[in-house]
Amino acid sequence: MDKSIFAAMPSLTPTLGFASMIGLGLFSLALSYAVKTLLVRNTHDFIIADRRVGFGFGVGSVIAVWTWAMAVMMSSAMTYQWGLSGLFWFVVPNGFAVMAMIPFARILRKNMPEGYTISEFIEYRFSRSKAATAIVTVTMIFGIILEILINLKGTSVVISTVFGIDWKVATVVGIICVLAYSYFGGLWTSVMTGTLNTLMITVPAAIVVAAVYAVIPGGSEAVFNAAGAADARNLSVLRPDAAAGFGITLAFGLLAATVSDQTFWQKVWAIKSRDVGRVFLWSGALFYPIPICLGMLGLVGIAYGLKPSDFGGDIVAVGPYIVSHIGLGLTLVLLYVLVILAACYSTIDGASAALSSVVAVDIVKRYFPQTSESSLFVITKVSVLLGGIVATLIVLSGLDFTTLVLTTYALKTSILLPLVLSILWPKTNMVGFVGGIALAIAVGMPIYATAGELIGTLSIVAISGLTVLVAGLIGGKDFDLAGLRRIGDEVSAPAE
Amino acid sequence: MYIFITLVGIAVTVFFLAGFWRGLQNAIAEYRSGAPEPNDVPNYQYGSLAALSVIASAVIIAGAGFSPAMIYAGPLLALVTAAGCGLAFFVEQKST
Repeated sequence: MDKSIFAAMPSLTPTLGFASMIGLGLFSLALSYAVKTLLVRNTHDFIIADRRVGFGFGVGSVIAVWTWAMAVMMSSAMTYQWGLSGLFWFVVPNGFAVMAMIPFARILRKNMPEGYTISEFIEYRFSRSKAATAIVTVTMIFGIILEILINLKGTSVVISTVFGIDWKVATVVGIICVLAYSYFGGLWTSVMTGTLNTLMITVPAAIVVAAVYAVIPGGSEAVFNAAGAADARNLSVLRPDAAAGFGITLAFGLLAATVSDQTFWQKVWAIKSRDVGRVFLWSGALFYPIPICLGMLGLVGIAYGLKPSDFGGDIVAVGPYIVSHIGLGLTLVLLYVLVILAACYSTIDGASAALSSVVAVDIVKRYFPQTSESSLFVITKVSVLLGGIVATLIVLSGLDFTTLVLTTYALKTSILLPLVLSILWPKTNMVGFVGGIALAIAVGMPIYATAGELIGTLSIVAISGLTVLVAGLIGGKDFDLAGLRRIGDEVSAPAE
Repeated sequence: MYIFITLVGIAVTVFFLAGFWRGLQNAIAEYRSGAPEPNDVPNYQYGSLAALSVIASAVIIAGAGFSPAMIYAGPLLALVTAAGCGLAFFVEQKST
């Protein structure tokens, strides 16, 4: 297939780029202001939406926060790199990770109905152990900051590539747009704008991918034949090198990304209790088509024999490059930009809302319990701004994210099994929980550094889990999870 | 196929927004009523449905390696996602 079909579009000006970013931000701001006026009166409403998030908003918002801007691009990139095996290993664990929340979400929502954060659960689960709660709180904060900065960075790169805007300016404009509306309504805003963003991700993605195949001479058949001719393995989902290269590691990483993420736990306690289980079921199942749809752009890259050097060297850019260079109309390219912006904004506002709950419950209420409701409300809202500013400064500094990524990865992966066991296994104790995480980091991370991702990840998971099991069997005491029902609401709504 | 997906996309958008509007009205009405939310967590079993969706996603991706027509399954199913979100608003129960 002749790749001379790819050409830059001169009509994609910086003005259009700014208009796209600011336009979506202003729309969300208007919605946010309405939400604030109608549904948010205090900290309780701001961080947990009065535990009244219904089924529809639950499904839409969980899909939105799980659809990262990078994921939109990675689905195309993994297909481009590994063929359908890449898409298989990227997609299948992704939806499963969301549904894996169901048993844990149901147990905690049932036994700790007035909860807010997973760190709060750990606090009561391990008799107010400072070490255990500090580890979980720090992990949640690191994870949230990482979510914000990765989405910010990914989006600024796409905006700068497509519209020729300086990436630093794109970063600042992007974060201002998100924080401006996140500040007002907290979780309710995140849930409603996120739900609308799910619409802005799905329908435009379907139309744009279909349009790409429509402009290719010979359509899907030509792409199918050319991809198979390039390498028959491109059309197979059974490449073992894809599984070993990234698939198995990614699967564990994704599980840790949901189960060890306050963004999801906040929703567990905010969604109406009767809907918690089926929200995560529907969200996981309905998430699948998004990366499957966008992954088909990767086959186009293979079929045309595109090289990474054609689009700046980073395979993540293969999707944006195809859409903005294959000869689609301006409207369709803007629709694709909207998909990425919607994914970026919804993940950042979801993370910001999660941060507000951590700050209110795990920091202010825990260490300064006498803080008044009015002060708490202000601090909670300011924390949304603070998280965004910190992430932006890291991005703008040009620092290598590797240390932050590795630290967060180590914490989240090592916390995965201890957290799961603390919910499911009554014999789990504080020594096993803290010891398992500490040992997994101390021993597992050096293995990760020397033996590679796959063996390293399996070692971290095995060490943390085994330590909890051994300590639990030696310790012998059973914890009564139902006793958590007595715990009151830490940030209850003040009386009218 | 592009025209078909665009037309279905427009229809799905309308359905989604109708659901969103219903959900928004429900949320405001429930908030104003102030009626306490029950804490019951139903004991439904979701394992088989979850397993089915995992297998279905794998089969659909694998299918794109057998037939070029299956390449369009992704875009079509993305519309199902939007429609499913819209449907979720219509099947949710009001508290009041």
